[in-house]
Amino acid sequence: MESTYKLLDEAVESLRQRGFGKPRIALILGSGLGGLAGSFQEAVAVDYRDIPGFPPATIPGHAGRLVWGKLQGVDAVAMQGRFHYYEGHSQRQIAFALWTMRSLGAEILIVTNAAGGINPDFRVGDLMLIADHINMTGDNPLIGPNPDRFGPRFPDMSRAYTPELRELALEAATGLKLNLQQGVYLSVTGPCFETPAEIQSFRRLGADAVGMSTVPEVITAVHAGMKVLGISCITNMAAGLGAEKLDHQEVIDVTKKVQSNFQALVTEIIALIGRRIPQ
Amino acid sequence: MKLTDKIREARDFIRKITDFQPDIALILGSGLGTLAEDIEDPVIIEYAGIPHFPVSTVEGHAGRLVLGTLEGKKVAAMQGRFHFYEGYTMQQVTFPVYVLHALGCRSLVVTNACGGLNPRFKAGDLMLITDHINILPNPLIGPNYEELGPRFPDMSQAYDAEYRQLALQVGEELGLKLQQGVYIAISGPTYSTPAEVRRLIAYGSDTVGMSTIPEVIVANYLGMRVLGISCITDMSLPDELEPLTHEQVVKIANQTRPKFIALVRGWLKRVSTDAAL
Repeated sequence: MESTYKLLDEAVESLRQRGFGKPRIALILGSGLGGLAGSFQEAVAVDYRDIPGFPPATIPGHAGRLVWGKLQGVDAVAMQGRFHYYEGHSQRQIAFALWTMRSLGAEILIVTNAAGGINPDFRVGDLMLIADHINMTGDNPLIGPNPDRFGPRFPDMSRAYTPELRELALEAATGLKLNLQQGVYLSVTGPCFETPAEIQSFRRLGADAVGMSTVPEVITAVHAGMKVLGISCITNMAAGLGAEKLDHQEVIDVTKKVQSNFQALVTEIIALIGRRIPQ
Repeated sequence: MKLTDKIREARDFIRKITDFQPDIALILGSGLGTLAEDIEDPVIIEYAGIPHFPVSTVEGHAGRLVLGTLEGKKVAAMQGRFHFYEGYTMQQVTFPVYVLHALGCRSLVVTNACGGLNPRFKAGDLMLITDHINILPNPLIGPNYEELGPRFPDMSQAYDAEYRQLALQVGEELGLKLQQGVYIAISGPTYSTPAEVRRLIAYGSDTVGMSTIPEVIVANYLGMRVLGISCITDMSLPDELEPLTHEQVVKIANQTRPKFIALVRGWLKRVSTDAAL
């Protein structure tokens, strides 16, 4: 782990030199929600390619920079664009960005994504609070030497998504008169969308939504002792449950439509965290 | 080296040997390899000579590409395939599909031997694959090449419904009762334990094998139409699981071979390779 720690220290040092302070909250902004970083005050942004140890993001719609600033008066750091396993990044590389934000001082992770709906009660455009996850990637970011600096060899996952934060999110949604679903997020590697038979099997396993991200980051964050809140935007119904064919443009279009609600919700949650959760 | 360059080198190598342009790719699994021997005016190319092709190591898999005419259709048959359990990466397993596509194939017929999970099936049955469940590493992980296919390929109809319909008609004409169902692939090389079989059944699969899905994912990514046929060589029922050997699988596959070959040949004869399809 020594070389990873060294690289992390370099990443943190270089970000501090560019004006990054100690954030309370780390945000990972998925497909379509990257715009939230635009409402940061006193913002500083650094391209991933300029941060030691960061690989560059490779897909359209993902900007690929780390943004520092204040949102609702709360110090925050945001990943605008994230690293995906299907791009060929290892889960350790995905973990690195998370460790960087943790090393800056973030204690809370808010992670968002676009997901396919499996629960038949869901509708395209719904927002879903992640209650739990099922890791079906066949991999784990903590495989390898344990990063003792961050957490234990065998981290507990019994409450990966912090109940206290979910309560706050529900309260924020009520205040905004937004309907917020809750459910289990199952992560696959992608990059192909799922087959109908796969979706049926995920349903049997107890999943409400399926996507290609989030779980590696959440595992890393929980291991590192962070509180986690996850929200999915249901951008399509999964294979066999909705439209005939799935394409990425559909995902981007739906995300754009619900973007303002999604941003309002996350903004309100951050305001509540600022007021309610002691530093 | 970029994948696209590797594909070009392999295609150019084959093109130097023959200017034959196949329309339909055949991947011949256990027991069906002999179908390649029926190909007329064959051009036979050993995998070992093709740039970037891995070499097949499993018994009963010949390891060569046969180009020629079968039932009036221009085909390229893979006699022997690459399996994940042999130690190849999923990128290696699927490399031939890219090359077959680069040679001109827009359709893929993929066959395999597999175990039956659905109690209505019996050893010796042929099953048209309706869908699959992938629980193995995805062959498309890594940088995407937009010139080959989209970053997020759709898999909602991975097995072409018209092709399946045609196979059903052919089966009926031949007096064959064809099963239809879902295929799941495990890595192997071990066969499943009873507990594992129960899990695969819980997933909703009708059959279990060790191949096919990676090739089908890549074929769909490339926009090819796919027909998948499984020969059920043994029944994997958790409460009556008997010790299984590769020899038994080969034995049933060989017994089933005549009707399997008749089905594939009949389908080839009837299928249209018009560009419009």
